[in-house]
Amino acid sequence: MHNSSQPRTNASSATGEPVIEVRGLAKEYRVFDKPEGLLASVTGLFNRKSRVVEALRGVNLQVEKGEFVAMLGPNGAGKTTFLKLLSGIITPTRGAATVLGSVPWERTDDFRRRFALVMGQRNQLWWDLPAAESFRLHKEIYRIDTPRFERTRDELVDLLDVRKLLLRPVRDLSLGERMKLELVAALLHEPEVLFLDEPTIGLDVVAQHSLHRFLAHVQAERQMTVILTTHYMKDVAALCKRLVVVTEGSILYDGSLEQIVDRFTSHKIVTLDLDAPPDPAAIDRLGFPCEIRGPQVILRIDRTRIADVLPGILRGQGVRDVSVEDVPLEEIVAEMFRSGSTAGTDGATGAPR
Amino acid sequence: MTRYVSILLTFARACLVRDMTFRANFVLECVTSLGWMAMNLAFYLLVFTFTPEIGLGTGWTKAPFFAFVATGMIINSIVQALFMPSAEELTEMVRTGGLDGILVQPLDAQFLVSMHRIDFSAFANGLVGVGLLAWAIPRLPQPPHPVAILLYPLLVVCGVAILYSLVIMLAAATIHLGRNQSLYDFWFYLTNFSRYPAEIYSGPWGGPLRALCTFVIPILLVVNVPARVIAQPLTGQAGMMVAGTVFAAAAALVISRWVFQSALSKYRSASS
Repeated sequence: MHNSSQPRTNASSATGEPVIEVRGLAKEYRVFDKPEGLLASVTGLFNRKSRVVEALRGVNLQVEKGEFVAMLGPNGAGKTTFLKLLSGIITPTRGAATVLGSVPWERTDDFRRRFALVMGQRNQLWWDLPAAESFRLHKEIYRIDTPRFERTRDELVDLLDVRKLLLRPVRDLSLGERMKLELVAALLHEPEVLFLDEPTIGLDVVAQHSLHRFLAHVQAERQMTVILTTHYMKDVAALCKRLVVVTEGSILYDGSLEQIVDRFTSHKIVTLDLDAPPDPAAIDRLGFPCEIRGPQVILRIDRTRIADVLPGILRGQGVRDVSVEDVPLEEIVAEMFRSGSTAGTDGATGAPR
Repeated sequence: MTRYVSILLTFARACLVRDMTFRANFVLECVTSLGWMAMNLAFYLLVFTFTPEIGLGTGWTKAPFFAFVATGMIINSIVQALFMPSAEELTEMVRTGGLDGILVQPLDAQFLVSMHRIDFSAFANGLVGVGLLAWAIPRLPQPPHPVAILLYPLLVVCGVAILYSLVIMLAAATIHLGRNQSLYDFWFYLTNFSRYPAEIYSGPWGGPLRALCTFVIPILLVVNVPARVIAQPLTGQAGMMVAGTVFAAAAALVISRWVFQSALSKYRSASS
């Protein structure tokens, strides 16, 4: 069983009251291998070979009220399985979880009224009808009284600037427009917990930015607890203070964005813009791993030595501009995914998510 | 309960709005369905040019038999309109993971799965059935007993409940299988048995088939009992049949509920 043991830093808006508690949560699927070829297919009708795939391997997690947690991981890491378990869509093989004090897979109405799930790759609005019709249905299902419904709908619609889309059939909307309306529908009943499964997948930069602003605003205003799964570091950087990195059904890292840099990198990236392309031998003599791109030199320097060595570098190279940055988060996380994959014990790749 | 009625009305409204969006499709569905019914009725009329009765001494002469056919049309149209579209869609929802969206809503999942799509064009057959029944009743050899008139709607509801239970159990099989595109075909084969008077199932093959379709899969009770009550004289046997049908309907609902809930607990959801 792989447990998360890293220290955790809560978002500043967290209140210390646990809303989500997960202990040793595991999900296994039995999958049937489909043999290749006609003869093997016929044989397989009578003697199917199956194997057990571990989508989640005993995950532990605690999320407090008001936290905005990002869950990052490669395809098949178990992120969506985790959200499906917390939403009560599927039942676990082992382990326990409570969300807002309820066991999700008991699927009580009281619990289901208090959270929402938005899946970027699934459409939950009525396809052939305008979103306004889906909202009306939502009002009935969640028993939202009319004044509250109208107030919330108008507020959300104005924040996302989608009023003109309300009466257009959903099938005629762009992906970005549809996702905005999916979010409005999900938030109409003012859920205390929101699960977002890759909400920005396939969206252009403008739509992504618009969703980031909206989600940040609504989360802060309502003190909503949010878990977001994503592949995009932009989502994480724009929205979350806490990051959970998952690979092969296990949590590799659970902590703050700042800590991940400190914990997993020992150097900073120093970029020098020079007057002219440098002499490679002179750059080599500096003694740091480097990359030369025309007049630009990129050095990887131990973070503890930056203050000592930088003045010397700046004096000797005809430097026009300099920047000192942390290693990009994408690079750190990609490295974690790679090392996590090689560290895997029994190869549960391709797990259903 | 009122909440569920209100939600059903909201579904109905949304489905009607959608049907009106695709008006040509709606009209075409009504015409196709009515055309199929007209062919069936023509076939039965043809049969009655050769014989005065379906099975000698059974009482299924022309007017009672058309009351039987009308009852079948009414019951089937209710099931086809209210439950079949949603059940058929479940197959696709399981395959694509669309069922996830239903399971997170604070409503009974079976209600949502069964009734979120309503096919208004299927009511066309029911209206024809009501018309046919209105034509047949004054032509019956004897007018229906007042008790029979009271029992008839109850027995129609029981027939709908039995068929609904079969639909939902077939749909639940989808959750286990992951894909079940033969749902509608299987439904058609099963309901075919209910479309004719039980008396035709006799002899060395017919007898066991009748017993199977009465006591195991009570498909023969669905149309036969309400039709017999309205179209034929009430006898001592009728009381047994009515009680049996009510019991079968209740048992079918309980069993189908158990089957559906047990299937849901095994739901794997599709990969995204």
